[in-house]
Amino acid sequence: MTTCGYIIMNLKDSKNIVLACIVEITDDEIKPTDEMSLIGKDATLDSMKLVELCLALEDKAADLKFEFDWTSETAMSKSRSLFRTVSSLAEEFHVQSQNAQ
Amino acid sequence: MIIVTGASRGLGRSVAERLIESGEEVLGISRDTKSLPFEAVAGDVADHNTLKSIAQKLRKEKRVLEGVVNAAGIASMNLAVTTPPSMTQKLIQTNLVGTIHCCQVFAPLMIRRKKGSIINFSTIAVALGLKGESIYAASKAGVEGFSRAFAREMADFNIRVNCVAPGPIRTDLLKGVSEEQIETIVSQQVLPKVFEPGDVSDLCQFLLGPSSASLSGQVLHVGGA
Repeated sequence: MTTCGYIIMNLKDSKNIVLACIVEITDDEIKPTDEMSLIGKDATLDSMKLVELCLALEDKAADLKFEFDWTSETAMSKSRSLFRTVSSLAEEFHVQSQNAQ
Repeated sequence: MIIVTGASRGLGRSVAERLIESGEEVLGISRDTKSLPFEAVAGDVADHNTLKSIAQKLRKEKRVLEGVVNAAGIASMNLAVTTPPSMTQKLIQTNLVGTIHCCQVFAPLMIRRKKGSIINFSTIAVALGLKGESIYAASKAGVEGFSRAFAREMADFNIRVNCVAPGPIRTDLLKGVSEEQIETIVSQQVLPKVFEPGDVSDLCQFLLGPSSASLSGQVLHVGGA
């Protein structure tokens, strides 16, 4: 569904986009889950893949007519990073898509 | 396309003009873009949001970024004890934080292509520990440290990061430095002479091009230190 050029997306859609991007950048080698860690000692992706994930989400956001800003003060300085888990990243992606509308 | 910061004058201007002469597409970034004879946008490197807007625009326009020359910088020749805190802040913000901002914001445009070269500007004052340049040298020592580590972070993406560290070069930055001081500095270089902006442009051109494919994380001193 679209309105004013923006594609309306719910949190589940966002999560699916993040999961699909992880599968894509890891050539299907990782089966991501909602609670999979993206940073820290239990991180499944290395730092290089994490950057690739952010760029992939930037591209998806552009397709959906909004800017995904993974470097903003707001996104990065939360007491719990947006990169904590797949879910937290999906939540941020969703919030930014809503804010753009 | 190659981004050159500090493109309105001095070494940035010289590098930008050289690249254009060589057929490169250049986007200059500087606080003052009036009457610049090449594509340029106004922006202060200390302002992260402005740089981010420039990067977003480039991405939307699908411009291909091949390199970044971070030449924007300011100098202040004073003893540390006679330097006002505001100048200390300004030196660190422009020289160090500005360089970091540009690298953070523009590197992702090259990461997508897994190819690129970044040149950050340091100074011979770091290697020689020049009297009267302690805070300026501190800001540039930060640039060198950042560049060496950033080079490792970018290596996985086939992006090279190097520093060019000139000695005294005939630009506006040298105004206010006496001939005696210049001579004192130059005499400590391996090649004891005042080099020209063109010499720095030569080195930048080399570092941006394929001939320097084996170099990353290096600090190259114009004149030798």
